[in-house]
Amino acid sequence: MEKKGKVLVIEDDKAIRNLMAATLESRGYSYVFAETGQEALLKITGAAPDLIILDLGLPDLDGIEIIRRVRTWSKIPIIVVSARSNDKDKVMALDEGADDYLTKPFSVEELLARIRVAWRRIQDTLHSYETTESSFCNGPLEIDYLSRAVKVEGVEIHLTPIEYKLLTLLAKNIGKVLTHNYILKEVWQNYLPNDTPSLRVFMATLRKKIEPAAQATKMIQTHVGVGYRMIRREEDEMNP
Amino acid sequence: MKPNRSEHILICLSGAPSNARVIRVAADMASALQAPMTALYVDHKPMDPASRLRLQDHLKLAESLNARIVTVHGENLAVQLVEYAKLSGVSKIVLGQSGRTTGFTLRRKSLADEVMLLAPHLQLYIIPNTPDANEEAEETHWRFHWQDAAKAIGILALTTLVTQIFDRAGFSDANIIMVYLLAVMLTAMVTNGRFYGTAVSLISVVLFNYLYTEPRFTLRAYDADYPVTFLVMFVVSFLAGTLTMQVKSQAKLAATKAYHTQVLLETSQKLQQADSEKEILIETARQLEKLLRCAVLIYPIRKGELSPPLYVRQLQSSEVPDRFLSDHEKAAVAWVFTHNHQAGATTQQFPQARCLYRSVRNHDRIFAIFGLALESRAILDLLEKDLLTAIFSEAAMALEKEDLNRLNTQITITSQQEQLRANLLRSISHDLRTPLTSISGNADFLLNNSEEMDYDKHLAFYRDIYEDAMWLNNLVENLLFITRIENDTMQLNLQPELLSDIVEEALSYVQRRNSNHYIEVDLGEELLMARMESRLIIQVVINLLDNALKYTPAGSHINIRAFRENSWIHLVISDDGPGIDDGTKAHLFELFHTGPKLSADGRRGLGLGLALSKSIITAHGGTIEVRDRIPHGVIFEFSLPAEEVTYHGEERESIGY
Repeated sequence: MEKKGKVLVIEDDKAIRNLMAATLESRGYSYVFAETGQEALLKITGAAPDLIILDLGLPDLDGIEIIRRVRTWSKIPIIVVSARSNDKDKVMALDEGADDYLTKPFSVEELLARIRVAWRRIQDTLHSYETTESSFCNGPLEIDYLSRAVKVEGVEIHLTPIEYKLLTLLAKNIGKVLTHNYILKEVWQNYLPNDTPSLRVFMATLRKKIEPAAQATKMIQTHVGVGYRMIRREEDEMNP
Repeated sequence: MKPNRSEHILICLSGAPSNARVIRVAADMASALQAPMTALYVDHKPMDPASRLRLQDHLKLAESLNARIVTVHGENLAVQLVEYAKLSGVSKIVLGQSGRTTGFTLRRKSLADEVMLLAPHLQLYIIPNTPDANEEAEETHWRFHWQDAAKAIGILALTTLVTQIFDRAGFSDANIIMVYLLAVMLTAMVTNGRFYGTAVSLISVVLFNYLYTEPRFTLRAYDADYPVTFLVMFVVSFLAGTLTMQVKSQAKLAATKAYHTQVLLETSQKLQQADSEKEILIETARQLEKLLRCAVLIYPIRKGELSPPLYVRQLQSSEVPDRFLSDHEKAAVAWVFTHNHQAGATTQQFPQARCLYRSVRNHDRIFAIFGLALESRAILDLLEKDLLTAIFSEAAMALEKEDLNRLNTQITITSQQEQLRANLLRSISHDLRTPLTSISGNADFLLNNSEEMDYDKHLAFYRDIYEDAMWLNNLVENLLFITRIENDTMQLNLQPELLSDIVEEALSYVQRRNSNHYIEVDLGEELLMARMESRLIIQVVINLLDNALKYTPAGSHINIRAFRENSWIHLVISDDGPGIDDGTKAHLFELFHTGPKLSADGRRGLGLGLALSKSIITAHGGTIEVRDRIPHGVIFEFSLPAEEVTYHGEERESIGY
């Protein structure tokens, strides 16, 4: 990945814009700023960015509204920035189609990691090899979609139908935070709100199976009050 | 118009036809003097129905003329009147008075004479009665009742039969006279009024003369002693009859009085037990229902507004039937509310209403309006009215007390909140400045002197800025939650959450700042799930971990453990630091309590963290406690209601580990 993409940063606070600018510059990304929602909408079409970082608390327009409008015509990755205590905003943003979220205050490393993950997703969808291919590989985890076999470090493990569905759902959306509602809708077709505890339990048992205690490798990340995400095990992490 | 405090007019209510005039004259006088007027009814003798009806009218009249109605019980009218006058600071008494002494009684003196004798200092106004009115009153006193007459005749016949047997058996005259005396007493007991007793006395003498004195079956008597015998017999029988009647009426009075006292006592007790406004109102309604045997509506008045009614029937509160919610009923309630006077059934205002509406009030406010669903019952008798007034005043007193209590609590709470706010502001302005000074100072220093410093020094400055900023961030989170609790908007959004997720999230936050403590986590094999609002509980865990990091030296161990006990999930966070002394432990969960300056950076917290944690855990229904760890260190433990781990959508057997 020699060519780094262009990031549109929608943020009204100058200090945070400066921080973002410094961070993006240090890693060779190019960037554009928008200070208001209106400006952002113009620049999304005008500047043709590859990725959007969106602060939900904009002065003129609701950040959720921006996501909604962008999603009518584009699949461009959107990373949302919001305050820690505001789970509802995050879930709403994710349900409207945001790819990821950052909690204020965030560290520079966190921001870069999220951008990397989102970037990978663009590449994946561009080549779209993962969704069409009959197998999936992420770190120690291997899924063979044809034979419905799941292997961790080469050892086949037994999964129940629902666990398998959960795992493939997460794998197909690797790097993306899936909200509880989304997962429930996808896995339990006609779900009830009181299925949420079941989802917690299935996730916990699934994690126990695919994340052997001996290995400190985390495959699935829990976002309390929001949802779950499968983490991409980077090549360099696997082979230091 | 200010009421005249020095004057107080008392009138005596009675069933006599002339009483109305007395009431009017007294009312004129009261309005001229701007003095309060009290209408006293002394329940001293049983009354015939006609008088009772008139009494009701007089009562209404007195009420409509703004008199306060008071009922007392007692044998002697004058004594009761004077006693009441003395106790209530009455200055003038207005009495009706006929030209002659009333009736066929033992009392020689008129009521006015007696009152004057008992209380010479009182001003007495006598309104002369017209003689016909007086006659009319006497007439009703001697009214004829077939039932009583039949009883009297029956008793006489039986007596004569017995005396005939005695006579045949050769008993002496004395015994026969005794039996007749007995007959007179019996008649006095079973009939109403003096008439039958007196008549039976007279007839007994005549019968004795006719049947048992020589010559028999004539009204003559040979023996010269007999006229004396007849006279004595008549006087004795008459006295016996009168005394019996008095005993009877006294017994009746005593019973009434006892009932009265009992009802009031019970009301008073019940109202004292009630500890909220609603309970007091409902209890009052129950007592009223017991007394009047009718359903009761309650319109509580809150903040000067009529609230929707409550309905009490068969001692239970239930839905208000629609028939009590018609516009007419509502208008009557509104009238009572604005005029502060009774209305509805049995009164002149809204007489068509189904209920009699009365307000429960003290001198300056109305607490509630009660609707008594009298419906078919046309009138309330005097005793009921009197008890009603007493119960209402009891209720008003109870409500006033309750109101005062609430006001006091409110004042205490408000002052506590003021105190809290003041403390919060003081703490914020004082303690926030420390990290802010550090951040701005460090940044300022870096801006101006960065060239002269080596990289390691730079790093130390950066780290300080970062740590202070994170500390401030956590503080802001706590403050946000505190305001949520303070504003009473602590409506928890409870969701079943896995404890491991919570601990992981809290750790990920704390770990960023932790470089020199060992944190061990042991949550066991079992999946522990508890109902909670995840953000809040994460904040609790963060606060506890933060404290452990702050108050233990580098290299200490912090242990996080969780287990399930019955229907509770316990989370235990312990450290092997120096521990907390007992004095500090006692106040640890109080707001603005800060520990001794033991932390590495010498900074005190705001004393928010643990207080907030306690509020959060309490709001979840759990408990939080602190205790010593052996040999040294502190253990914090909190509990949350456990959620059953359920597997929905798949059979349980297929879940294997």
